[in-house]
Amino acid sequence: MKTRFAERVGSLDWGKLAPLKLRARAVAEGVFAGAHRSRRRGPGVEFGGHRSYVPGDDLRFLDRRATMRHGKLLVRQFETETDRGLRLVVDASRSMAYRSEGAPGAKLAFAALVGAALCRVALASADTVSLDWIGGTGTTPLPAMGGIEAFDRLTEILAAVEPSGDALDESALLDSALDAVARRSRRGTAIVFLSDFIDLPEGAAERLVALSSGGRVVVGVRVLDPAEVSFPFVGPVLLRASEGTASVETDGGSARAGYLAALAAKMAGYRDRLVEQGGRFVEVTTADDPVLVVQGVLAAIGGPAA
Amino acid sequence: MSFVVWAALAIAGLVIGPIVAHLLHLGRAREREFPPAALVPHHRSTARERSRLEDFPLLALRSALIIGLALLGAMPLVRCDRLALGRTSGASVAFALVLDDSGSMRATLQSGKTRWELAKTGAEQLLRSAREGDAVTIVLAGRPARIALAPTTDLAAAEHALDELAVSDRATDLPASVDLARAALRPLPQRDHRLIVLSDLADEPVADGSPEASVPLAELAAKVDDCAITGVERRGMRVTAGVACSSDGAAQGRTVELVVAADSVRDVGARDAGALRSAGDVVAHAELSPRRGEQSLTLAVPKNAGTLNARLTGTDACRHDDEAPVSEESTASVVGVVADPTRAAAKTGGPTVVEQALQALGETWVVRPLPFVPDDEKGLDGVGALVIDDPPGFSPEARASLARFLARGGVAAGLLGPRSAATALGWTLEPFARGAARWEEAHGLQVDTGSLAWLGPEAASLGSIARRGRTRLDGMEISGALVNGRWTDGMPLLLERPAGRGLVVTVGLPASLDESDLALRPGFLALLDQLLRQASQREGGRRTAAGGAWTFPSANRVSVDGPEGAIAVSREPSDEACADRGARPGCGDTILRAVANVRGRYIVHIDGATETRIATLDPAEVLAEPRAPGKEGRSEGAQGTARVGVSRELSLVLVALFTAELAVRLFRKWKGQRAVPSPSAIANP
Repeated sequence: MKTRFAERVGSLDWGKLAPLKLRARAVAEGVFAGAHRSRRRGPGVEFGGHRSYVPGDDLRFLDRRATMRHGKLLVRQFETETDRGLRLVVDASRSMAYRSEGAPGAKLAFAALVGAALCRVALASADTVSLDWIGGTGTTPLPAMGGIEAFDRLTEILAAVEPSGDALDESALLDSALDAVARRSRRGTAIVFLSDFIDLPEGAAERLVALSSGGRVVVGVRVLDPAEVSFPFVGPVLLRASEGTASVETDGGSARAGYLAALAAKMAGYRDRLVEQGGRFVEVTTADDPVLVVQGVLAAIGGPAA
Repeated sequence: MSFVVWAALAIAGLVIGPIVAHLLHLGRAREREFPPAALVPHHRSTARERSRLEDFPLLALRSALIIGLALLGAMPLVRCDRLALGRTSGASVAFALVLDDSGSMRATLQSGKTRWELAKTGAEQLLRSAREGDAVTIVLAGRPARIALAPTTDLAAAEHALDELAVSDRATDLPASVDLARAALRPLPQRDHRLIVLSDLADEPVADGSPEASVPLAELAAKVDDCAITGVERRGMRVTAGVACSSDGAAQGRTVELVVAADSVRDVGARDAGALRSAGDVVAHAELSPRRGEQSLTLAVPKNAGTLNARLTGTDACRHDDEAPVSEESTASVVGVVADPTRAAAKTGGPTVVEQALQALGETWVVRPLPFVPDDEKGLDGVGALVIDDPPGFSPEARASLARFLARGGVAAGLLGPRSAATALGWTLEPFARGAARWEEAHGLQVDTGSLAWLGPEAASLGSIARRGRTRLDGMEISGALVNGRWTDGMPLLLERPAGRGLVVTVGLPASLDESDLALRPGFLALLDQLLRQASQREGGRRTAAGGAWTFPSANRVSVDGPEGAIAVSREPSDEACADRGARPGCGDTILRAVANVRGRYIVHIDGATETRIATLDPAEVLAEPRAPGKEGRSEGAQGTARVGVSRELSLVLVALFTAELAVRLFRKWKGQRAVPSPSAIANP
């Protein structure tokens, strides 16, 4: 059975989302493409609120009064305007190849579209972009670069990807990707993590949160298939996970509520950890309008709100 | 192999096929890839159960469709029909349904249905085939035969009345019910009269008459193996169980057991906690002799066994009659006689003349001679009637005992003679008379037989009593006493007075043959018979056959709880007819009456007092063999009933089943779509 799934994910099901380059350009054109204000919270003039202290924060910004009042270390944030780079991390593990009946394309295809559109918007603002992968076959990392060539190269790499790998069992896939992006990210960099957040290994949230130190903004974009948020199954069904060995025989109607609760709890874990450290968590499905999704991600990064 | 066998195999295949497909479908869940499968809760058993539940209606519908089609195709071979009124013309029909609700109709036949269910279904089919203008009456053949529905053209009312009917444990009285039905049909204007008997015919043959009886359900006469406990009576430490078996096989290997009744534990516990037994304990058992007919088994029971039930082990065609309550000794009908053997016995010896007279009235009552009126109330336990000959008065204790006896419904008769005129100091004749009695020798006086006309023709025999004297009752009447017999000089001879729920009868002559030959006259027997009848009415025959009525004269408030819950107690006119000359006691009164339709133990609450009564099954209901319809059934067809096919109804059912399957499928599809929430609603809050 596993072999059969492997054959199915051998080539990514782009569906209505192909061709990537044209679609990404169209999406980007739908988004406000002008110079965007980097709502970077950090050293500056305008107070931007508090957040929990993480190692590496400048001790000068520790708010002693707030710390004494709340019993934990809190740092003051300030808003400033600056140019910022965009670092994309795309999950290309096997689970991202999933496309349910009626969905416009696979999750990886949608993530690639959103990533490409974001890249185009960022490039239009003279920001640099980079690309790193979790799993996948034919996944060439794209170092930080700017200019129109970067968009062409990035879309070519995205279009050539084939999902593979089991991020759940192979935690090294996540570690290598995060290490790479950490090396490339300077203060003020926006890191967009496109994944379904389903099959990430244990401790992934902490490792992701760790990226938000040093003035970096981490935006987790949870990309799910419509079937994964609605659980449309009715009657007895045998469900096999794309990654890992999970296999569950269940009843669609009976299991729906429990599944949705578990999914919400899992996602809430990522969201809370990210938000607590100043990150953002955007939840989308492949059935959503990519333009709105890109606008939402930009708003989360600190660009113009959609 | 014949065509029928092939057809049966084909039908079996058609039915089994969908079932196998259904089971195979149940055994395999659809396999899907789903990345977040690890988050899905495991519901395997629920899933299969749900699938089974959801798919079962469809499977049932499809199987029903196939069976229906098979039946429709096999109509020439398979009989599937219903009863209907046969009509020779378009004229309205008046028909009587004689429905046997006796105990034998409880038997379960090979079809798995009881005779009663089949008979009632047949009656419903016949009613449905009636048209507007037809008149119908329903007569029940359980003893006594009675009209359940007076002739009516309101068919809806008839269907309602039929719905209300239930089988009983009564004996069968088929001839009377047929006569009743014919009488009910006679005045009806319809020219076409029908008499339809739905019975197992386990009774006397139906008499010829018009209209002829039609017996359309011959299957009711199928013989069954059944054993029943017809009556169980306890006398001291022994219990005698009567069992009737319809065949040798029915009695083979079966045992009568005495078990502690559920309501016994409380009673026993109140008296003797050490003897407490739990309900269902078997205290005695005895094997049945493997033969047809009635047999009587005697079982010894331990002390303080409490209230008992008798039950038969094994199974037969009627489980209902395999258990019966044990009649306590106190429920037997006993008449006590207080008479001086030296004065009231015949010269030839033997019991007193009063005892002999009572024994001559039959075996319904057990005669118990008493040396004196007991001072203790317990001495009169179980006694329903009391005859006291020439009492020398009653002590205060005896009077109190008598008062309690009367209060609970006893009937006491005092025959006052010369000894009554010489009461001891402190003794009185109450409750029979007030003050001191006077015995006088009055020659030439005779009894006014006209005043005793209510006794019937036997009263004439009292007109020439040879006697030595009489007790003058004038001035001795206690308030409320009625004079129901007189001497020719107008003096009272016989007084009757209700006391409590009981009755006091005072006679101005003793039974002693030395004083008069009253006891030798047929009128004396009639008087005692009347006395016992009154006692029966009041005591109610604590052990009666099912269907018998219990009456409660002088009672104001009565409730009866039976095996099937409370039974209705109605206030009805007394059976006592009002004669032109003289009036029987109770003439014109209304009394409370209750009928025990089913056998079992009944708890009767009478004006605050509680007693137990038993209704039993007539052994004839088991022993009488059902008869196949003979001449009664020959009118089936044009003159009576007809069996008509149900192809039309079956076709309609098939269409309905097909529609139902479509509806179920559409509903499930709609339900499945509704159950899935919109992805966009959840995707991005």
